[in-house]
Amino acid sequence: MLQAYIRKRIGTSRKQPSPEPQARGGNNERESGQAFRLDVEFTAPSGVTILFGPSGSGKTTCLRAVAGIVTPDEGRISLDERLYFDSASGVNLPIQQRRVGFVFQDYVLFPHLTAEQNVAYGIRAGENSEGQSKAAKRERARELLSLLGIEYAARQYPRELSGGESQRVALARALASDPAIVLLDEPLSAVDAKTRARLLVEIRATQRRTGIPFLYVTHNVAEVVEIGDQVIVLNEGRVIEQGSPREITLVREE
Amino acid sequence: MRAFGDSMIWSAFKLSLLVTLVATCVVVLLGTSFAFLLAKRKFRGRELLDAVVTLPLVLPPTVTGYYLIVLLGRRGVIGSFIYERTGWTVTFTWWAAVIAATVMALPLMVKSARAAIESVNPQYEVASYTLGKSELETFFRITLPLASRGVFAGVVLSFARALGEFGATLMLAGNIPGKTQTMPLAIYEAVVAGEGRQAQILALVLTAVSVTAIYLTNKLTGGRTQGM
Repeated sequence: MLQAYIRKRIGTSRKQPSPEPQARGGNNERESGQAFRLDVEFTAPSGVTILFGPSGSGKTTCLRAVAGIVTPDEGRISLDERLYFDSASGVNLPIQQRRVGFVFQDYVLFPHLTAEQNVAYGIRAGENSEGQSKAAKRERARELLSLLGIEYAARQYPRELSGGESQRVALARALASDPAIVLLDEPLSAVDAKTRARLLVEIRATQRRTGIPFLYVTHNVAEVVEIGDQVIVLNEGRVIEQGSPREITLVREE
Repeated sequence: MRAFGDSMIWSAFKLSLLVTLVATCVVVLLGTSFAFLLAKRKFRGRELLDAVVTLPLVLPPTVTGYYLIVLLGRRGVIGSFIYERTGWTVTFTWWAAVIAATVMALPLMVKSARAAIESVNPQYEVASYTLGKSELETFFRITLPLASRGVFAGVVLSFARALGEFGATLMLAGNIPGKTQTMPLAIYEAVVAGEGRQAQILALVLTAVSVTAIYLTNKLTGGRTQGM
């Protein structure tokens, strides 16, 4: 179970966050120059947990804080027994040691590597100092690609792949690193509607098959209903609702 | 007289090639390391390192050569230390020509490689970190391959710069035929001695190399860089 308590000031200038607290009006877009605080506390048990909210609500920042890409000003993040971040005791585990699989909105596949090489790159060296042999890594990469149904694209470069194929490779690569949690940052926002529907089913199936908890960021209600076991609704850097998708949707419809 | 002149051209050519190749290898290793440090690491003295490495680009070559003598000469800061222990001094040796060419070509390598490394989308590096890869492994397996065009352009420019080195070489290595007399120095001597034909041949060789270098770098940097 992921437990996160994250507080972070987000402003226009990264170098000099404005020292005085700003009045928080309705507009908290980063472009507007108004700093706002991200102040959230949530837990993500097993299954798929959705971080839902409009753009600028701070959900991607939460995801990046869990991964260790951004550092909260204060807070505490832990996954099961492992402490990732704790401002009180000064713990801040580097990204590499957090064992998170990150699936980016725009895939971020390495352009100079084939699909198979992208996935193989993610495979961590084994417990023995020798690490896994090249052949074993290749085989594992093929396995993961076939899990996502795209072993046919193994030898293709990212520029030759469609959006849907790219995101499947990206998910396979994230799984290759044997992650303790998979973080998905609006993974379907760059693919067409048809591919989106199919990928949603596949992402859900992949989560069930691997049993790894998924933390999934989106602003799309359909995705929440389709894939979420639990939903955390964010607005202006605060958690405003938390529960199963059914409860949340009912509340919204009333 | 003519036979002697041709052997002078030939030995200057061989020497130049060897000095330039060795210098370029050192420049690639040092330049890429410096570029990595300057592009990716925040440390004290970063600006100073940048300034020191870049200085030979703007200083008159003879001034750079003068500083090299102050550093490496028999009574120099580092040179006296070496001389007292080994009785050897680098000035007026083949190595002096290599050092002069290296120092003069290094800024071009560092500038090109740094710009290329900084142009790689940092998202790729973040993705690599999430896959458990260290900063160094990420640099060699992701950043450097994606920056390879710019880095290679830096190699070509450095090679051309090292091949054409004159001022600092003359100061530190002197102009000893067959030992430290590289092509640019041979041209100078040929012109002074009124040997027009030799100067012409040497000048043509150097011009050909320079034009090729410009063509190659334009070709390499003209296209869209990967990973931008």
